Amino acid sequence: MSLLQTENLSYIYGEGTPFRVTALDNVNIEIEKGELVAVIGHTGSGKSTLMQQFNGLLKPTSGKVLLDGEDIHSSKTKTLETRFRVGLCFQYPEYQLFENTVYDDIAFGPKNMGLSKAEVDKRVRTAAKYVGIPEHAFETHPFDLSGGEKRRVAIAGVISMEPEILILDEPTSGLDPRGREQILSLIKNYREQTGKTVIIVSHSMDDVAKIATKVIVMNNAKVEMRGTVDNVFEKSDRLCEIGLSVPQITEVFVKLHAMGYPVSEKIYTTEQGFAEIKKLLKGGEALA
Amino acid sequence: MLKDITIGQYFPLGSVIHKLDPRAKLFYTFTFIIMVFVSSNFISLALCIACAVLIIALSKVPVKTVIKGLRPILLIIVITSFLQIAYVKTGVTLIDFWKIHITSGGILQALFMTLRISLLIVMSTMLTYTTSPTSMTNGLDRTFAPLVKIGIDFNIVTMIMTIALRFIPTLIEEVDKILSAQKSRGANFESGNIFKRAKMLIPLFVPLLFSAVRRAYELAYAMTCRCYNGGKGKTTMNALKYKKCDYLVTLLTFAFIAGVVVLNIYCGEYNAEFTFNSAV
Repeated sequence: MSLLQTENLSYIYGEGTPFRVTALDNVNIEIEKGELVAVIGHTGSGKSTLMQQFNGLLKPTSGKVLLDGEDIHSSKTKTLETRFRVGLCFQYPEYQLFENTVYDDIAFGPKNMGLSKAEVDKRVRTAAKYVGIPEHAFETHPFDLSGGEKRRVAIAGVISMEPEILILDEPTSGLDPRGREQILSLIKNYREQTGKTVIIVSHSMDDVAKIATKVIVMNNAKVEMRGTVDNVFEKSDRLCEIGLSVPQITEVFVKLHAMGYPVSEKIYTTEQGFAEIKKLLKGGEALA
Repeated sequence: MLKDITIGQYFPLGSVIHKLDPRAKLFYTFTFIIMVFVSSNFISLALCIACAVLIIALSKVPVKTVIKGLRPILLIIVITSFLQIAYVKTGVTLIDFWKIHITSGGILQALFMTLRISLLIVMSTMLTYTTSPTSMTNGLDRTFAPLVKIGIDFNIVTMIMTIALRFIPTLIEEVDKILSAQKSRGANFESGNIFKRAKMLIPLFVPLLFSAVRRAYELAYAMTCRCYNGGKGKTTMNALKYKKCDYLVTLLTFAFIAGVVVLNIYCGEYNAEFTFNSAV
């Protein structure tokens, strides 16, 4: 049994009005424990709607969302419980900060769970460590932080609930390269250290190639492809057709291959590319 | 629930009324509102009703939509009617039972007030239904432009109005987003006593206020970059021009004023007993 599963999940916005839009159309996916799933798709493909289905913010028009094999909408308590078990961090989460101190903001979720003061404290400190917020920053006002720091505080606010599944909607959007790098490595570390499931929604194929163990491609409210990074990015033609792309480094290697250099087309990260080029140079091939 | 707000809604239907100059529409709407209060008997009020019906018919706005616009003031109408029936004691006694004492005067007075309030709301919603925010502010701008001579730059007022209207849907969307985000962190907006609920508004309003201020700054910078200086020497792309039909409508508005005044004088203050007896 999968940890999180959808069964013929469909969702329609504005049913019964002229503005009716099908956001999800018969979606069937399974997510296993410990995976780092990346969901990609162009704007309006239904990614964000799908994320809001996962933690029960939206109710399916038809079909089911199963967490540990149980329907998350079977009762009201079940739905509320799901919000804590599946932590959803929205796009631009820094806009949801509201407390006077960083500490209080991270503690908002655990407090809502009704945990003891000691437990809340423990969770805040653990979560802050994962996102790299030092303890001396706890009393700072969140609005005094930089954009990247605010984002990390907001992510800590979700991690502190210790959800079994952490969902991040576009966690790197609008950040500078250093901020991106920090967020990506914190996601990677968090998953490696806790062994928990992480789902990220992303527009950046480079980010996806770097950290994902499984990729789901959404197109026009449907699941278009699913598989490992290799499985998905080797279909670069189809990805381009539906308005997506492959990582930049992959494009370079596909072109090199087409030009006749003996390099692999299946290069998805800069590290792989570096190794491939090194191999090529050591092989003594003349570089025209 | 938030998406049901219809204040300032515009129905782009392209009717004769829609095509009128906004100044003509503003003029007849304000005249109408004053005349509804000037009307002192049912006959002059009937003239007002006739005009309202004519405008609704010409505008092609569905009657159902017009009536729906009255829903928010239903409570006010009910309370006013109740007070009129309870306190006006003129005319023929209709019901006299225990403490309940209803007279024809009370009923007629209640009916009169109901018609007045409904006409006010219907005509002001008709103005927004048939006039786009841009042309409305254009109209206001031009109407009050002469005020510059006495040091009041009305352009700033209309700019503030335009921006306020423009940002209503944006802020509603923002509220939806923040609500979802805080719900994901376990915030419970739906249950608990009134104090708990009031406290739950903090996680909603602090981010909302913050983002509204941020947006205001961004907009101010963007406007400064495009050399906005408060309408001094500003020209418009679609300059308003009074056409034949606009003059006709303005003329008709004056005729309407005359009509109400004449009917007021000739038919006098409405007499509850008389109206009631002649109705029976």
